[in-house]
Amino acid sequence: MWLWTKIKQLTLFRKAGRVTLKYPFEPRPAPEGFRGQPLWDHTKCLGCAGCANHCPARTIFLRDLCQELRVLLYDSSRCTYCGRCADLCPEKAITMSDKYELATDNREDITQTIELFMMTCQRCGRCYDMEIKNYLDRLQTLGYRYDSLQVRKVIRLSTAEFQPEWLEKTSTYSRPERLEK
Amino acid sequence: MKAAVVTLNLLYFLALAPLFEGVMRKLTARIQSRQGPPVYQPYLDLAKLIGKDNFNSAGNWVFRLAPLLAFSSVLAALSLLPVAGRASWFSGASDLMTLIYLLTLSGFSLLLGALASGNAFSAVGASREMMTIVMLEPVLAMSLILGAVKSGSFSLAAALSGIGGTKGVSYFLMLSVYLLALQAFVSRQPFDIPEAEVEILEGPYLEYSGPNYALFRYTLNLKRMFYSWLLAAGFLNFFGSPGLILSLVLQTAVILVVCVVVSVIGATHPRFRIDQALKYYAVLVLLALVAVGFGVKGF
Amino acid sequence: MDLKQKQELLKLLRAELKDGFLGEEPSGENRLWAEVKREALVRAAELLLQAGGRYQVGIGYDARKSGKGFALIHSFAFDRDGLIAAIRAFAPAEDPEFDSLTPIIPGAGWSEREYQDLLGLRFKNLSNGKRLVLSDDWPEGIYPLRADIPYDLMPPSAEEVAFRLEQAPPGTTVIPFGPFHASLHEPAHFSVFVDGENIKGCEYRGFMVHRGIEKLAQTELTYNDIPFLAERICGICGSVHSVNYAQAVEAASGLKISRRAEFIRVVLLELERLHSHLLWLGVAGHLIGYDTVFMQAWRIREKIMWLAESLTGNRKTYGMVIIGGVRRDITSDQAENIKRVLGEVEKEMLQLEKAIIKDKTIQRRMRGVGYLSREEAIRWNLVGPVARARGLALDSRKDHPYAAYDELVFDVPVVEDGDVWGTMVVRIKEVYEAIRIIRQCLDKMPADRPLALELEGPIPPGKQGLSVVEAPRGEAVHYVLTGDGQQPERWRVRAPTYPNLQAVPAMLLDNKLADFPIIVGSIDPCISCTDRVLVVELRSNSKRLLKKEELESISRKMRPGK
Repeated sequence: MWLWTKIKQLTLFRKAGRVTLKYPFEPRPAPEGFRGQPLWDHTKCLGCAGCANHCPARTIFLRDLCQELRVLLYDSSRCTYCGRCADLCPEKAITMSDKYELATDNREDITQTIELFMMTCQRCGRCYDMEIKNYLDRLQTLGYRYDSLQVRKVIRLSTAEFQPEWLEKTSTYSRPERLEK
Repeated sequence: MKAAVVTLNLLYFLALAPLFEGVMRKLTARIQSRQGPPVYQPYLDLAKLIGKDNFNSAGNWVFRLAPLLAFSSVLAALSLLPVAGRASWFSGASDLMTLIYLLTLSGFSLLLGALASGNAFSAVGASREMMTIVMLEPVLAMSLILGAVKSGSFSLAAALSGIGGTKGVSYFLMLSVYLLALQAFVSRQPFDIPEAEVEILEGPYLEYSGPNYALFRYTLNLKRMFYSWLLAAGFLNFFGSPGLILSLVLQTAVILVVCVVVSVIGATHPRFRIDQALKYYAVLVLLALVAVGFGVKGF
Repeated sequence: MDLKQKQELLKLLRAELKDGFLGEEPSGENRLWAEVKREALVRAAELLLQAGGRYQVGIGYDARKSGKGFALIHSFAFDRDGLIAAIRAFAPAEDPEFDSLTPIIPGAGWSEREYQDLLGLRFKNLSNGKRLVLSDDWPEGIYPLRADIPYDLMPPSAEEVAFRLEQAPPGTTVIPFGPFHASLHEPAHFSVFVDGENIKGCEYRGFMVHRGIEKLAQTELTYNDIPFLAERICGICGSVHSVNYAQAVEAASGLKISRRAEFIRVVLLELERLHSHLLWLGVAGHLIGYDTVFMQAWRIREKIMWLAESLTGNRKTYGMVIIGGVRRDITSDQAENIKRVLGEVEKEMLQLEKAIIKDKTIQRRMRGVGYLSREEAIRWNLVGPVARARGLALDSRKDHPYAAYDELVFDVPVVEDGDVWGTMVVRIKEVYEAIRIIRQCLDKMPADRPLALELEGPIPPGKQGLSVVEAPRGEAVHYVLTGDGQQPERWRVRAPTYPNLQAVPAMLLDNKLADFPIIVGSIDPCISCTDRVLVVELRSNSKRLLKKEELESISRKMRPGK
């Protein structure tokens, strides 16, 4: 009985053989419907900031550079490849490609930037109501530090409402000692 | 000439011990539906380990001494072995007791190293290793003593030829005991309890790294090869003493077969707990005693 | 869903508590939201317990914005009637003190310690008042779940601070398992007291992977962002948490999603159960030293990962669930593919089961190990396969049906073994049941639309919703209190490992040290699920290269044996 189970265990590998894939020496394409890196089509993009507003990882940014130029920046550092941007785009300008080999030591390789020339409003001459509707400006009013396109580190100053004096009032403001055994 | 033979034997063991480990790893991987590392991987591992920083994480000299002691005692034990049935150069100054002592010294230096590590897990591993050594060394000793009883002399070459001499009840009993204990001698599943543990993180070897660890692994490989060799040159020595090269080739073939069997058994068993294993060893020790008794009586 | 039981409970509460009972919030027939006075909380809990309720979780939140102080909710499940009753009490902001439930319900200890750390509530008669969640160098007086503390607060960190662990009983030594250990998937610290090879006791210190998920959801994210966050609570039971959250919000706001979406959610949940149980089988094999079972079980599991990738676009983080339904459909081609893969998986699973179920060597490692009696299992509020291995027939899919489970026919395997071997048998049988459920779903799925509801207006604030889902590890509970600004005001996640971990020291007693990994592994710990609330504590941004001798001396000083 014992011997029989051992033989059965030994032969588990008979039908399956060796399952190790030869990747990376052989390519391994992703299946259809795979959610890889999102790709923007600049000919279709409107600059509506729908993708930027709904990205759960807050990794898509939109900014008005000047009166006629709006920049969309997909800073892929936090992208989770969820595909919400592709679902929501009204012009279907975003496709989830099947690219998954995205490791790199240079961020520029996976960043996408679109510069859109905007029409001006015939009445007031500006792009449009950007101070309120523009996602990035909304971020700035809450304290995101994103001064220039070169500075990619977006650090939210949520501690703007927190008073550091509160820390001093706590009983363990100085570095705690090792608790005695 | 005799010194050259001893050197050749040592080189034979040193060169082939990692290869057998590689064969075992490859075979285990194939049973698990994997590709497995190439057969020469253990050589690369040892080379990598030797190139690392020798880090004394316990801070005392016993820690540094233990792997050196283990390795050197195993080498000393190997140099006593008769080659191709002829006694080695050291046979005038040693007998089978020396062999047993040297092997036990190697095991004890592992214990020394584990206890010098100062780590709770190493202490648990050391206690398990101690229990294993206490129960397993008698089986090894009694196999050799059976040969000594049958051939009437304590010299190593005589003991080895004596084991495989007359094929009576004692021979078959001892052979089966040795085969049942082989898995424990080579520390593979289900008996790799002291070392390579998920539970105690490699136990005695936990604090070791770099060249120290390379020495311990090499010691382990050499001991594995030695136990398989004992089976080939002692119990299964059907060919008398042919020429040097031929006997080495035959031994290697038998050791390879033993490796395959050990891997297959190792890949199809979980690890036993120490208390379950000790019950198993106790039975083996009793049977070995009975076998020696039969040998004394002439069976 | 017996309406009678709900009315009887209300009558009982009104009669016994008299003016301690303040009212009931109207809701669906399988939820009871009762409001009681602070002083009557323990008595109400006692009444619910005697009426046959099983304690689930305690939920606390900061209600100072609406002037009510701090709220504490305890929820009880009545499994035979499909009812969940929750009692809520408020404490004023200047005196946030409650009576602890631990004298009558020891399993409530963790919830109360959690709010002691995170909200600053105080509990009278709390049996073990040590820090549970926050790290030991977190400053006193700063309670992260309170609304005025930001989510990314980084107080200065300290070295040389340690959790005050229990003293080892005399005659034993301490073996520290963790935070880094080969047998644990995630960091946790089990301080095991051994005498030779026998375990005499254990103390657990966890919450080291605390990531600040609940606080993040309450401050930064909106309703539809949170399912993607919930999916990442756990690397194995991702859709459980996202479905559970979506169901809680839908229950709170009264949304009814389409039947097809419910069936698709069931398919995703059962696929996840399949892959999780196969993963567990492999890990259990690895923990007893049997790597061949590990490799073969994961080879079978790989087929399910490829199936999930072709269905949802990702191997594990399916990303398919949003409030109001699901994002993708299952076409008939995909349904054929699912059936084909399930056939292969079932065949191989049968082969694997036959090979290991009669193996004496595996049984010697797993039978009689980690024994816990049925009464103990009830006392510690165990859930999931761990409870089903001890004879408790608990399964949220049958007791509190959700999604499409009320229409599906399946069995719930229950065994009486009471040890680790029983959990293995239960999980293997559940694999076959999961395959059966998925096949039924593919046949019964209606074609109604829409897959994801379009919401007419914003979700109203101030509504409570509680949802349970049977994760592969047991019952997971999510509680949502909707807030303004399209965000939940409070989201509480209780993973199934939360109560199961509390029972581990009891399971470990009088077993051998070598069985520690398999006993901890038998509850299938998902420690990332268990610790989620509050802020990640990052070290300050200064860097300094430590020289080799400094590193050596630090690591030597920190050695546990000293």
